[in-house]
Amino acid sequence: MTDRGGCRLDGPVRMLAIVLALAVSAVSARAQDKPRYGGELIFAVPSEMPSYDGHREGTFGMVHPLAPHYSTLLRVDPNDRTGTKVVSDVAESWVISPDGRVYTLKLRRSVKFHDGSEMMSRDVKASYDKIVFPPPNVGSQRKGQYTNVEAIEAPDAWTIVFRLKWPQASFLASLASPYNWIYSANILAKDVRWYEKNVMGTGPFVFVEHVKGSHWVGKKNPNYWDKGRPYLDGYRAIFMKDSAAQVAAVRAERAHIQFRGFSPAERDSLVGALGRKITVQESAWDCAAWVAINQDRKPFDDKRVRRAMTLALDRHQASQALSKIAVVKEVAGVQVPGTPYATPPDELEKLAGYGRDIKKSRAEARRLLREAGVPDGFAFTFTNRGVPMPYEPVGIWLIDQWRQIGLNATMVTIEASQHVTELRAGNFTVSSDAQCGYAVEPDLDLAKFQSKEISHNNYGRYTDQVLDELYQKQSRALDSEERKRYVREFERRLLDEQVHTFVTLQWHRIVPHNARVKGWTITPSHYLNQQLDTVWLTE
Amino acid sequence: MAKYIVKRLLLMIPTLLGVAVLIFFLMRVVPGDIVELRFAGESAFAQKENLDKERARLGLDRPLWEQFVTWMLGILRLDFGTSMWTGAPIIEEIKLRATLSFQLAVMATAIAVALAIPMGVVAALKQDTWVDYAVRIFSIAGLATPSFWLGIVFILGMLIIFKWLPPMVYTPFWVDPWQNMLQLVWPALAVGYRYSAVATRMTRSSMLEVLREDYIRTARAKGLWEKLILSRHALKNAMLPVLTVVALEFAFLMGGLVVTEQVFNLNGLGMLFVESVARRDYTLTQALVMLVAFVFIFVNFTVDLMYAWIDPRIRFR
Repeated sequence: MTDRGGCRLDGPVRMLAIVLALAVSAVSARAQDKPRYGGELIFAVPSEMPSYDGHREGTFGMVHPLAPHYSTLLRVDPNDRTGTKVVSDVAESWVISPDGRVYTLKLRRSVKFHDGSEMMSRDVKASYDKIVFPPPNVGSQRKGQYTNVEAIEAPDAWTIVFRLKWPQASFLASLASPYNWIYSANILAKDVRWYEKNVMGTGPFVFVEHVKGSHWVGKKNPNYWDKGRPYLDGYRAIFMKDSAAQVAAVRAERAHIQFRGFSPAERDSLVGALGRKITVQESAWDCAAWVAINQDRKPFDDKRVRRAMTLALDRHQASQALSKIAVVKEVAGVQVPGTPYATPPDELEKLAGYGRDIKKSRAEARRLLREAGVPDGFAFTFTNRGVPMPYEPVGIWLIDQWRQIGLNATMVTIEASQHVTELRAGNFTVSSDAQCGYAVEPDLDLAKFQSKEISHNNYGRYTDQVLDELYQKQSRALDSEERKRYVREFERRLLDEQVHTFVTLQWHRIVPHNARVKGWTITPSHYLNQQLDTVWLTE
Repeated sequence: MAKYIVKRLLLMIPTLLGVAVLIFFLMRVVPGDIVELRFAGESAFAQKENLDKERARLGLDRPLWEQFVTWMLGILRLDFGTSMWTGAPIIEEIKLRATLSFQLAVMATAIAVALAIPMGVVAALKQDTWVDYAVRIFSIAGLATPSFWLGIVFILGMLIIFKWLPPMVYTPFWVDPWQNMLQLVWPALAVGYRYSAVATRMTRSSMLEVLREDYIRTARAKGLWEKLILSRHALKNAMLPVLTVVALEFAFLMGGLVVTEQVFNLNGLGMLFVESVARRDYTLTQALVMLVAFVFIFVNFTVDLMYAWIDPRIRFR
């Protein structure tokens, strides 16, 4: 190795230099990896919560600022990029009965609420009773996910038991729901709606202040059960609706991160401006851009027409092109790619519209349309949600794709608030639709597609008892391989045989953040991994 | 004068009542449902039973006339109810944002007036000279430049050149005046510039008109000192239309700065307004419309009183 200054290193000296350099960089990397205490994490939140009650609300605008104040029984491993590995939180261990109907969880003994009182099984029972069997005047948004729960028991101070009516593969994951915060039984007994306007949990951070429309502040809980955590002194969530303002805040280091995600253009502008001061984490998102087809309207009641519509889409090409301008990327079925129940790409390609030979697919689509008696240039309205990202680019792409098989769609964009109402009322022909899950779990992701008599969110307005049966089978299958098979069958029926609806592309989550932020791992769900107990800031 | 004031105050009642009826029924005509939005937006498990229960809790299942009467009775007691979205008292929701919006409106008005009156007067006095042209170009540019765009330019400029951004969180003036000013001076400048452009043009044309009046010629013929003619006779009379423009702009700023608030991440009434409409938060939207209507009516009323104070002819009429 020569240097222009004239120094020459040869043989053993060169080796020594390399070894020393490697050692220094390893030490420095270890120092970088070792969590550092202190600092205030500042993050932007693009939405704000209606109330503080996690059992009642659904928005990430509540989860991001409030999750650090609470614990859940179980949680999704903060280091698991698939967002599917369940680990303990305040429950330290659990046992499932052989018939899969009884879940017995042992609680940690050192967990204290922020008011100093000890957390025991009666608190867990009171919290879950509120979620599963809410009193008449109390809303529980996810009550429907627990219809299987027969009883919740607290046989002793440190044990909680869930008895199910039938075995349910997803039950453990549902105990890790990021919304199922443990509340104090005493408080709930006095006022079951107290938590709508107040905060008091067992989480790593204690509530300090909320100024509506402005910010939310939390400080370190010195009595957090996980000794040594959290690393941060506190955090500050700033409510910021405008994405340009969020980008500017990260760029000016007024905020370290915005956990939901940015668009590719925003990522590129931040990387371009800040270079190595920015770390970018990306993941397939547990949200997908779906197309809802109203089967009450002709000719969309004919599955050949629906099949033609999905065959027209060149998803593989779109994945490359659209991912440059919109938050969509992965070609996916009914599960987030890369997660346990997702169909592998080579198998996915066998479904209608997923093949690599687009010419062949489109020729087949035209044939099906002719066979169904749909004339060339057939016109219909595509109703799109009035939210630019990713609905607008995906909508434009869809229209172009359908035009290539002789379908002439006109895009009508309606305000987001009105869109849900119109979909529910069936006032549309073909529409954009979205499905976001708080965890990658077939029970959550597939429920929407059951028959209209079961699923209030079935916008296609179809009835398919085979699909309903498959849903139940996958839900009750305790063997993961067996469950996989049912999920695949469900997927095939939904997307290929009946084409009740179809996915365009999976959303793609992009979180560029200040490189000082460590200990946070992106997952496919923007609802997960928000307790912030593992997060720390470098110097 | 007292009789006039009482008459004008009484006239406010039917106007506000008309606004109340209009906004109540308009909101119900607009498609969309707060319950659907809140509980079924992204969730796959919103059960119909839950949605119906929530509608009943918010009183949305009751007949329209009953909802209207309940609301009106509340207003008579100055009780605007609670926000359907957050469940918090409406007064609390508005109070928080009104302070910021009011301060921003005052600052932008001060900047606009400080720029507009001297520039308008100078442009009128130096009509068709380079000074006049410069003022006209400056004011036309102000009219053509949207405040939010100017705001974006300010932000990008500060970010790229100084690697600095104004604070993102509002600090009340009495808590920390420096932080407060650091945050609000930029939107006030962005808004104040456009606002000043309107007022400058009005001042200039009004001043030109007054300077051609007989009483100005008479004052000059009497040999009065030019500065006295301008300040006492010309400017005071020229201010009448300017006052109207300034006052109406002020009223508009109280609820109309939606995009500028978004750009600077300000927690003001404009953003609250848009959010409440988007969420179909009927009670909050109704209260905000009533507030803005009241501000407009009150500002008009004040302007009329000031007219009478400035112009004796109006007072005696």
